[in-house]
Amino acid sequence: MDNIYEIKNLSVHYGAFQALDNIEMTILKNKVTALIGPSGCGKSTFLRCLNRMNDLIDNAVVTGDIRFKDDTKDIAKVNPIELRKKVGMVFQKPNPFPMSIYENVAYGPKRQGEKDKKKLDEIVIRSLKQAALYDEVKDDLKKPALSLSGGQQQRLCIARALALEPEVLLMDEPTSALDPIATQRIEDLIAELKKHYTIIIVTHSMQQAARISDYTAFFYMGELREFDTTNRIFTNPSLKQTEDYVTGRFG
Amino acid sequence: MNKRRFKDSTFNVMTFISIISVTFLLGMIFWFVFSQGIGLLNFRLLTSDNQAVNYVGAFSSDNYPEFMDPSLESDVHFIERYGIGIAERRDLAGNTVIEFVYVDPDSPFTDIALLNGGSLSVTSGMTLNRVAFIERPAAQRSQGIMNMVSALSDEGNTIRELSFTRPGGGIRASLVSTLYLIGLTLVIVLPFGIMSGLYFSEFAKNNRLTRITRNFIEMLSGIPSIVFGLIGLSVLIPFTVRTTPATGGNLIAGALTLSAILLPIVIRTTEEGFNNVPRPYREASLALGANRTQTSLFIVIPGALSSILTTTFLAIGRIIGESAALIFVLGTAVRDRVGVFDRSPSLAVHIWALMTREPPNIELASTIAVIILIVVLILNLSIKLLVRLLHRGRY
Repeated sequence: MDNIYEIKNLSVHYGAFQALDNIEMTILKNKVTALIGPSGCGKSTFLRCLNRMNDLIDNAVVTGDIRFKDDTKDIAKVNPIELRKKVGMVFQKPNPFPMSIYENVAYGPKRQGEKDKKKLDEIVIRSLKQAALYDEVKDDLKKPALSLSGGQQQRLCIARALALEPEVLLMDEPTSALDPIATQRIEDLIAELKKHYTIIIVTHSMQQAARISDYTAFFYMGELREFDTTNRIFTNPSLKQTEDYVTGRFG
Repeated sequence: MNKRRFKDSTFNVMTFISIISVTFLLGMIFWFVFSQGIGLLNFRLLTSDNQAVNYVGAFSSDNYPEFMDPSLESDVHFIERYGIGIAERRDLAGNTVIEFVYVDPDSPFTDIALLNGGSLSVTSGMTLNRVAFIERPAAQRSQGIMNMVSALSDEGNTIRELSFTRPGGGIRASLVSTLYLIGLTLVIVLPFGIMSGLYFSEFAKNNRLTRITRNFIEMLSGIPSIVFGLIGLSVLIPFTVRTTPATGGNLIAGALTLSAILLPIVIRTTEEGFNNVPRPYREASLALGANRTQTSLFIVIPGALSSILTTTFLAIGRIIGESAALIFVLGTAVRDRVGVFDRSPSLAVHIWALMTREPPNIELASTIAVIILIVVLILNLSIKLLVRLLHRGRY
């Protein structure tokens, strides 16, 4: 099986605060990896290291080595724009731009210099179909994205990320702002998307992690405590702490 | 419990008192300006020159036909002998004058030989100042219209000399130069101000240099505009005289002075507008492989569009209202030639000029104030409309 990320000695500091401590992890291609752990344990920080979004935080210092695919270089030495084209991201709160649905999905390709109207149309329709949103919005792609419901907005954000044909999708608690039915649809979508994409998802819901992921990583106080197949983590974890967390006895 | 109720009601009464007094004050200002100024407000004021031109001459020939009364308004006196209708009217500045209301195409008044050579055809709208007769006393404007009518109608009188005025008092030049100033200043101040605001919001690192620069800019916005006027007079006028065809005070120097006054305000308000664009939009844009410049261009600036337009509107208000700084740069002599390399005062300076005359012309000044109010209102509404149009399809 292929590795998509190989992470060694990854530490992150925000000023004096150490958010991540010496993480070692290998993430496999075309699998869903769930990151779980109590609030403030560093799982979102870890996720944001994978497409270098921590660069945007003024006092964040990232050390260590992250290899993306077969790259011989640490991703810190790669152009972040090239990296982010291959690693899409979906945020906690749906954040479509205040533009039309079409413009939202076409945003990424357009910024990469795609001007051909026909190609853009194709990309928009393909991405919306992949995100299982096309049937609901096909009548009016010029509609403002902010007029959609929360669940639709989140699927639009997924479509927007897919428009760049990334290899990895990073999802930071994508369903925490959604109702159960919208959550269900996103989970179905993840199951569908994992055939073509590697998905790394941060979640606070144990059930969600158990339902959708192949591998689960348990973070605690900035450390990676346990990383194994989801089955193992939820049925027979090697640490007592992990068991306590997944069974809801703390956190 | 009672104490709290007392506190709450005191507070509420205070807010009511404030809003009532503010509304009353604003109403009073409007009422004063309108009641004073509405009398002189008409379209001719906006399109006429300020400078009056006087002519002195006599009829070129004594042959003219009989004239028919064209049935004019009741206050117009038709003089059958010469085929003209004259009436007592108020000119643009509010003075009583004798105005030509009707001139027959065959009237001798259409062919006047001027004293200094050349000829003149009297048209309606011109005013009659004085008519001198051969061996008879002259009729003056100041003696009133009835005297003038009877002197002109008297068959025994022969006209020796006539004196006319093409009336002035219009504010066309001031209006046009105000519009020029608005255009020029916005062209200078908006690109620089918006780009600087964008720099502070998106690109500046939060270090000591940035903080000092920001404080410095904030300080600039507290400087009285008359100080900027001094800078305009001593620095910007010499600069523009050296680099442009201008020979003295000019509208470009005026626009530069106004830009200096406005820059700090534009930078601060646009920066705030950019800061208010939600951070998740920026993150989403960057996560989609856009760089910072693209994010600024396609997300941050469109997101702050309404605040940019509000800033523009505030700037226009300042430009229209500024007088202290412009008195130095544009002078107060109202002129009729307008050009970017010429000097002619803006409407606000025009008001200042009218009020420093002896006696001050409050009425015309109020009329100009009404015009300023109307211009501001039109610009305000059009900007609101523009914002609505630009936001269509976004929300």
